[in-house]
Amino acid sequence: MTKNAAFAAIVLGLSLVAPTAVFADSSITAAGSTALLPLVKDAATAYQTAHPDVKISVSGGGSGTGINQVAAKAIDIGNSDIQAPTHPELKDNKVAVIGFSVIVHPGVGVKNLTKKQIQDVFTGKVTNWKEVGGADQKIVIVNRPRSSGTRAVFVSTLMAKQAPSESGLTEDATGTVITTVKTTPGAVSYAAFSGTKASGLPELSVDGIAATDENVTTGKYPFWSYEHMFTNGPPTGDVSRFIAFVQSNSALAKKNFFILIRDMKVTETDR
Amino acid sequence: MIATGQARRSHRNEAIATWILRSASLFVIGAMAFLLVYLTFEGTKTFFVDGVSPFEFLFSTNYQPDMKHPGALVFIVGSLAITTFAIAVGGPFGIAVGVFLSELAPKSMAGILKPAIEVMVGVPSVVYGWIGLSLLVPLMRQITGGVGFGLASSGIVLAIMILPTVISLSEDAFRSLPGTLKEASMAVGATRWQTIVQVLLPAASSGLTVAVILGVARAIGETLAVQLVIGNATILPAGLFAPTAALTTEIITDMPGAANNSPLEHALFSMALLLLLIAMVLIVFVRFALRKRN
Amino acid sequence: MTTTAPTAKIASSTSVKVRRFQDRLATAILWGMASSIIVMLSIFVIYLVWIGARYITPDFLFGLPKETEPGGGIGPEIFNSFYILILTMFFTIPIAVSAGIYLQEYAKPGRFRDIVQFSAEALATVPSIVMGLFGLLIFIYTLHWRFGALAGALTMTVVNLPSLMRVTQEALNTVPNSLREASMGIGATRWQTILQTVLPSSIAPLTTGVVLVAGRIFGETAVLIFTAGLSVSINAPYDFSPGHTAETLAVHTWYTHSESIVPDVDRIGNGSALVLLIMVFVFNVGARLVGRALSKRFTGKVA
Repeated sequence: MTKNAAFAAIVLGLSLVAPTAVFADSSITAAGSTALLPLVKDAATAYQTAHPDVKISVSGGGSGTGINQVAAKAIDIGNSDIQAPTHPELKDNKVAVIGFSVIVHPGVGVKNLTKKQIQDVFTGKVTNWKEVGGADQKIVIVNRPRSSGTRAVFVSTLMAKQAPSESGLTEDATGTVITTVKTTPGAVSYAAFSGTKASGLPELSVDGIAATDENVTTGKYPFWSYEHMFTNGPPTGDVSRFIAFVQSNSALAKKNFFILIRDMKVTETDR
Repeated sequence: MIATGQARRSHRNEAIATWILRSASLFVIGAMAFLLVYLTFEGTKTFFVDGVSPFEFLFSTNYQPDMKHPGALVFIVGSLAITTFAIAVGGPFGIAVGVFLSELAPKSMAGILKPAIEVMVGVPSVVYGWIGLSLLVPLMRQITGGVGFGLASSGIVLAIMILPTVISLSEDAFRSLPGTLKEASMAVGATRWQTIVQVLLPAASSGLTVAVILGVARAIGETLAVQLVIGNATILPAGLFAPTAALTTEIITDMPGAANNSPLEHALFSMALLLLLIAMVLIVFVRFALRKRN
Repeated sequence: MTTTAPTAKIASSTSVKVRRFQDRLATAILWGMASSIIVMLSIFVIYLVWIGARYITPDFLFGLPKETEPGGGIGPEIFNSFYILILTMFFTIPIAVSAGIYLQEYAKPGRFRDIVQFSAEALATVPSIVMGLFGLLIFIYTLHWRFGALAGALTMTVVNLPSLMRVTQEALNTVPNSLREASMGIGATRWQTILQTVLPSSIAPLTTGVVLVAGRIFGETAVLIFTAGLSVSINAPYDFSPGHTAETLAVHTWYTHSESIVPDVDRIGNGSALVLLIMVFVFNVGARLVGRALSKRFTGKVA
């Protein structure tokens, strides 16, 4: 008993003072945007298969989480749909472009909305789908949390900076948004192509323009953004190689409905 | 010679042992004190750094922490509402089963019920949440025609989760009563039910208060099971079946993405501090109830 | 019913018949409530088995999780659950048992004992999410550790101190004072008495309690979400390195749903929920069996 207690105290003390030595190994931890997550997860699998000595673990949490934790040096790569103006120390590695779409529960009977109508729906001015040409069904807004990059892109593009109403539901991640919209009659939300395209949910056209990769590339469809993999300072070693791998793998990008930056015909300032 | 050497050694061992055991106790105090100090420091930044008045934090529904308006009333009301629901359902139910176990249950029934309750304690909250999400939410959606997520769904999940706490503590409360109480009551011709209601319940009231308070503590701090079924809408509940949010669910939803030292992070720590203070107040109540008993 | 109801109102405490009826009714209701607990738990178990049993295959239990494709397993998650459990116990047991012994055997009633007791009770009531935040602040943001088993286990240590301390106190409480007096009577010091007499005769309830607490660590989620990480690497799924993300099974169950990126979320959620439930049973039954075996062995010797 005595020995155990003393030993535990020693271990506890040592682990408090010398953690960095214990934690130094060749592993990469990435977290953040759930819009970018499918691409990074697929890339991590492919990269690790090719490099068995590298350990990569990837999780979501939202863009704010990515930026926040990489700034705190808790992770190596912070994935984000948005820039990080408050963190000048972070190196912005743009890896791809992703489109987003407004998705609805199949029963609402709406295929196209104008920007103005989308704003009315999400600010709560319109509360029933029949007011915008759909079924007589109450509108249920499904939001992402404040730290979501998808939400930030949605607010700055389609919503013209108006805050969405909080009266609906809030779901943590792209995946849960899709599950909730699927199962909740009258639901409407917004999510990245990487989640919506394979979900089978109706994606609304905006002002008559369909949510497709092609319309994003040409800049006709406004709801898109760059995807960033932030590092704390310029990336080095495996981290740098892994980011380059994500930036250049067109097969994985295509599979997950991302667009490589070199294929874009417009830039963010044109949006 | 040998004897005194041995005596000296055992005396020294005794001193070392006492020192180690005492340090371990000090560690417990230290952990709690550190937690309290640290969270007080972080949790009051909302007021001292961002200049928000505590009044606004507690009583405003205007929750825009990025604009330094962290009105947390929605979450406070949400937490209180689901906790009240859970206690209103789970409290009487738990006490009734506690009475049953101590006064009525034959050995065979207790032999099934007690292990069942122990299993209920051990079931991880995420499993309760998962059952709530995959069984209760669709059921509520069908019954009420609403979204299924909301106050009632989380209240039901919590009521089930606090049952084991309330049951075993109220059983203890009834068991600790002197047998003479019951005998006296039965001797004057009271039925078992009259004895329970008129004699045992009042006599056990302080123990039952403890059971209910600890049930409240369990309910108000629960996070994952609630987060999966409450709907997480930053809005006062528009009814029993409408979605809302609680202190714990707001923390877990926004904390990972809250920037270091941002007003949002401060607001979330203020909520964590509030939860900690509620927990401590509840413990003081428990002490008070127990002192009354002795 | 309709005829007795008005009479019950008029002469509630006088009529023997009514009182007997009330008593029977109340007894029936109490029986019903107690049975409903068993019914409810049975529904849970049957429901979880029904939705999850078909997914419990060796591939699922021992396979690696998939990042974006269906068919992932939970092998590393089960490993991490046990790893963090053992690590937590390694830190918690010495501290909690020592503190428990001190309070029960050494401390005289007074302010110090009151403060320790109050701290432990308060600590036990702190919501686990607050503990998780605390761990995040201390280990990740202040000490700059990585998310991993060590940060998770140390936070869990603080979480489980009070319950294990209580278990120790209750176990020591079962030892009759006459044993202590007898041991001290033949010249043993207090510490020798504890080591040679008190601990061996309370080892059975102590072990039972420890195993039950361990079962709760296995299912803990909120604390570990903020401290131990949310994923594992396929190149090092069974990783003892304390600073590498160590997602446990309970966390995986929540996180798979929360992130919802693999197409077979329900399969993993349902299967994991059932595995977690089975583990609860294993820990509960295990605690009883170990306790019974130990009590047979030790009480035979000591008493």
